[in-house]
Amino acid sequence: MYALIKKLAQVMAVLGGLVLTILILLVCTSVLGRSVGTLLHGAFMQTNFTAFSNWALGAGIGAINGDFELVEAGIAFSIFAFLPLCQLSGGHATVDVFTSKLSPRSNQVLQMISECLFALVLGLIAWRLFEGMEAKQRYGETTFLLQFPIWWAYAASFSGAAIAAFISLYMAIIRILEALSGRHLLAENESTER
Amino acid sequence: MSTLEIGLASFPTLLVLIFLRVPIGLAMFLVGFGGLYLVTGSPNMALAKMKTETYSTFSNYSLSIIPMFLLMGQFATLGGISQALFKAAESWLGHRKGGVAMAAIGACAGFGAIAGSSLATAATMGRVALPELKAYGYAGGFSTATLAAGGTLGILIPPSVVLVIYAILAEQNISKLFLAAFVPGIMAALGYMVAVSIYVRLYPDRAGTRAPVPYKDRFRALAKVWSVVVIFLLVIFGIAGDWNWAKSGTQALFTPTEGAAVGAFGVGLIAWRSGGLTWSSLIDSFLVTGRSSAMIFFIILGAGFYNGFLSLTQVPQEIAGWVVNQGLSPMGILLLILLFYLLLGCLMDSLSMILLTVPIFFPVIMSLDFALSPEHLAIWFGILVLIVVEVGLITPPVGLNLFVINAMDRQTPAVETYKAVGFFVATDLIRVAILITFPAITLFLLPQ
Repeated sequence: MYALIKKLAQVMAVLGGLVLTILILLVCTSVLGRSVGTLLHGAFMQTNFTAFSNWALGAGIGAINGDFELVEAGIAFSIFAFLPLCQLSGGHATVDVFTSKLSPRSNQVLQMISECLFALVLGLIAWRLFEGMEAKQRYGETTFLLQFPIWWAYAASFSGAAIAAFISLYMAIIRILEALSGRHLLAENESTER
Repeated sequence: MSTLEIGLASFPTLLVLIFLRVPIGLAMFLVGFGGLYLVTGSPNMALAKMKTETYSTFSNYSLSIIPMFLLMGQFATLGGISQALFKAAESWLGHRKGGVAMAAIGACAGFGAIAGSSLATAATMGRVALPELKAYGYAGGFSTATLAAGGTLGILIPPSVVLVIYAILAEQNISKLFLAAFVPGIMAALGYMVAVSIYVRLYPDRAGTRAPVPYKDRFRALAKVWSVVVIFLLVIFGIAGDWNWAKSGTQALFTPTEGAAVGAFGVGLIAWRSGGLTWSSLIDSFLVTGRSSAMIFFIILGAGFYNGFLSLTQVPQEIAGWVVNQGLSPMGILLLILLFYLLLGCLMDSLSMILLTVPIFFPVIMSLDFALSPEHLAIWFGILVLIVVEVGLITPPVGLNLFVINAMDRQTPAVETYKAVGFFVATDLIRVAILITFPAITLFLLPQ
C-alpha cells in the first residue's frame, strides 16, 4: 500500500515538474519572439530589410499571445501536483525546538493531531476547489486573451488537491495507528526522505 | 469578544500551535479560518473565500518565479557549477591565509547569484567545499561555520525567494528589490571573507596553507565559470536594467518571471552540456523542487488566509497607530523591530517569519518618517529585514543552515560550529548598522 501511494505521489510531482519545464520553455520562446519582433520593428531593419522584416512579422514572429495566462494555469497545476509528495514525506516547515524536549510518546500524539488536522484542511481545500470549479463552469468564465475556460485549470488543479487530500488521510490513519500502538509503522527514513 | 480582541487573541493561539509542531502553514490557515468564523459568526465567508483563494494563490504570476528559481538551483548543482565556482575561487584565493575558506565564501556568493535559496546553497557548496577544507587542514567547526554563513548568500544575493515574498506582501516592485539587494549582497560576501581572515589570525593553527596556483591555471579556472556570470547578469539586469535609453523611464528586457524562466533554461542548458542532466537526475530535480515548492506555497496560502482575517479585524492598523503614539523615535522603533526579527529568527525559518510579521510591521514602518520616499523606505526596510531574518539561519538553536552543514560532517560537534559562527554573525550585525546609517548604499542603484 505504501509503495503504491509513494509511486502515486512521485508521478504527480514529476507531472508537475514536466508542466513547469514546459512553461519555462514557453516563456523563453515568447521572450525570444518578442525580442526578435522588436528588432524587426526597429528603424534599422525597417529601412534596410523592409520586405524581409514585414514578411517575418506577418509570419507571426513576436511574443506568444496570452503566455502569462498559460503560466498562471500551469503553475497552479504544478503546485497542486507537488502537494501529495510534500504531504507523504512530511516536507512542511515546523518549529520543533520546544517539542524536542518532550517524550517520544507525546511527540507521536502531537504528530497524529497535526496529521489529522492536515487531512481535514486538505479535504476542505479539495472540496471547495471543486465547488469553485463548478461555479466557473456554470458562468462560463474564460481567460481574457486566449478565451479558454478557467474551469479547465481548476479541474487540473483539483486532481492534485484530491490526491493530496487522499494521501493526507492515509498518513493520518497511519499516525493514529502508530499513536495507539506506540510503534513506528513507517520507518523514519522512509517518512523523511525526499 | 470584540473583533479587535479576536484579532489580538489570534497571536498567542497561533504561536502555541506552531510551538506544538503544527506545520506553520497549516497553523496559520487554521487560525485564519477559525478567526473568520468567530468574527463573522458563521463559516460561510471562510468557505466562500476558499472556492477561489487556493487557486488564485497557487496561480499567482509573480509567485511562479519561485519554482522556476528552485529548479534553476537544482540544475546548477547537476551542471557541476558549484564545483567550477569553487575551483575558480580557490585558484585565486587559496594560497592566502584562510584562503580556502575565503574561496568557499566566494563560491557560495557565485552560487547564490543563480540560486534563490539558502538551504540549497549551503547543501550544494557544503558537498563541494567541506572535503577540500578538511584536506587543507581547516578545523572542523571553522569549516562548517564558514559554509553555513556562506549559504546565507544564497538569499542575500539576488535572485532571492524571500525577496519575492516580501515584494508581494509589501506590494513593491520585485525588480527594484533585486537591484537594491545587489550591493548589500556583495558587502555580505566581503564581510564574511573579513571574518575568515580575522579568525585565522586569532587561531592560526586552525587553517592550513596551500601553494599558489600559476596564473595560467587561474585564468583557465575562471574561464570555466563565464557562462554562470553571463546568466546572472542577463537575469538580474534583464529584470531590473533599462534596455531602451531612447524612451524615458525604465524599460526592462523582461518581467521577473520571464527572467527566472530564461535563467532556468540557461542553467539547464549548462547542466545538459556538462552531461549532468539525465532523465533520472531530471526526475530527482523535479522531486526536490516539488517538495520545496509545495512547502513554500502552503505557507503562503496559510499566511494569505491568516492575513486576510487579520486585516478584517483592523489589528495591523491599530498596532501601527499604537506604536506611533508611544513617542519613540522612528529609528528606535526600527531597531526594536529588527531586534525582534533576530530573536524570532532563533526559533523560526525566514520565510514563515516574513509572511507572519511583514503585514504587521510594514504599516508601522510606513507610518514613520525616515526622510525617504515611501517606495525607497519600503525597499530599504525590505533589505534590512532580509538580512536580519537570514541571520536566523545561522544562529542556534534553530539555524537551518547549521543543521544542514553539521549533518554533512558528523565528526564536528555542533558546539564547535556555534563558536566559530559568531564571527560571521558579527559581520552581519555590522553590515546592518552600516546600511541603517547610510540608506544610500541600498538605494543608489535604483532609477530615480
